[in-house]
Amino acid sequence: MWYVGGDVRLILNSDSMKPIYVQIAEWLETEILIQAIQCDEKIYSQYQLAEMFNINPATAAKGINILAEENVLYKKRGLGMFVATDARHIILNKRKNTKLRAMVNELAKEAVQLQVNEEELVEMIRGMHQKLKGDQK
Amino acid sequence: MKVVECKNLTKQYGRVKAVNDLTFTLAENKITGLVGRNGAGKTTLLKMIAGYLHHNSGNIQVFSENPFNNLKVSANTIFIDNSMSFSPALTLGQLLETAGEFYVNWDKNLANRLFKYFSLNPDQSHVNLSKGNKSTFNMIIGLAAHCPLTIFDEPTSGMDAGTRKDFYRALLKDYIAHPRTIILSSHLLEEIEDILEDILLIKNGEKLLHISVAELKEYAIGITGKTDRINQWLSNRERIFTHEIGNDDSYVVIKNECSSSELEEAREIGMRISQVSTEDICMHLTSKSKGGIDHVFSRG
Repeated sequence: MWYVGGDVRLILNSDSMKPIYVQIAEWLETEILIQAIQCDEKIYSQYQLAEMFNINPATAAKGINILAEENVLYKKRGLGMFVATDARHIILNKRKNTKLRAMVNELAKEAVQLQVNEEELVEMIRGMHQKLKGDQK
Repeated sequence: MKVVECKNLTKQYGRVKAVNDLTFTLAENKITGLVGRNGAGKTTLLKMIAGYLHHNSGNIQVFSENPFNNLKVSANTIFIDNSMSFSPALTLGQLLETAGEFYVNWDKNLANRLFKYFSLNPDQSHVNLSKGNKSTFNMIIGLAAHCPLTIFDEPTSGMDAGTRKDFYRALLKDYIAHPRTIILSSHLLEEIEDILEDILLIKNGEKLLHISVAELKEYAIGITGKTDRINQWLSNRERIFTHEIGNDDSYVVIKNECSSSELEEAREIGMRISQVSTEDICMHLTSKSKGGIDHVFSRG
């Protein structure tokens, strides 16, 4: 676990299966999703990220490059990396298609192992989903 | 640009080869971690790079020149270890003043601020410092010198946990502000791996790995499960490490070369796949013998 600067914020998890540069990319994605960084706004440089997370700048650059390859970020020559107009859309789609799908896969497997039938499983998901949506209101 | 270039570099002490046929290059402005067990040849290698020691055969180039007795290399390199000796006639404050004369890039401001932050006493002499404070003082010299090639050999020995953490952060911040080629040797890989770009792992004076930290993190995987099933699944895959748990369970570390379908298959027959820390990977790769310390006791 790491803390950033003086104020203790647990962000990077060094025990995680995920490489640090993937965690950096995901952290940036979340910043974009919650609109802490807006479209066409400049994103943190590899050096800023390196300092924030206490990591080598090359590792931070690798995280930024993932997002550039996925067109979440674009490069302005000499100015740095900026958030693409449809960045949120790309991130949401990606998370839906990879992360959420993988989680559903795990969920379904566990349900089969526990002999929970389809209806019961769907009902559990529906209940939880409604509860969360209710909490949001 | 290549800052350090070694080709078949060998150094012998009597009949023992401390560094054996090492070939590698270090690119400019990278932080490289030099890792290996006690007696692996780390210090010998670093001293050859710094120009303190002659090599026996092969070739070594630092800033494109042979580093031994070389003015250009001396002027652009600083070698920090815990056996540095300073004139006993000077106080720490005077040493800090004097150090500035030797290095063109000397950052006096940084030196003074670090000196104050770590609460060192300018009137004290170097020989009377505790082990930890000696390391801290040497580290300040190493950072403030801003040498294009900065070498730290076990810089944190004797430092307490807080000071070590401060040192690594200071090193990273200063590196970001003033990029330069840094070599850092340490036993505590876990502590330094995040600030490193590359790792050079040596054993018995020979190179085992020279890869990026990111690659090292994905170099191996651990598999836990029933011994007979693991054996069957592994067939003749090479094992980096095997540990038997109880009578019929095993933990095996292998190179991470399996496809995701192979791993899926392993999971389905009840094996658990886990990540192996860089520290463990290096330890397994450099272990004295394949069985580990347990074998010493089991064979009496």
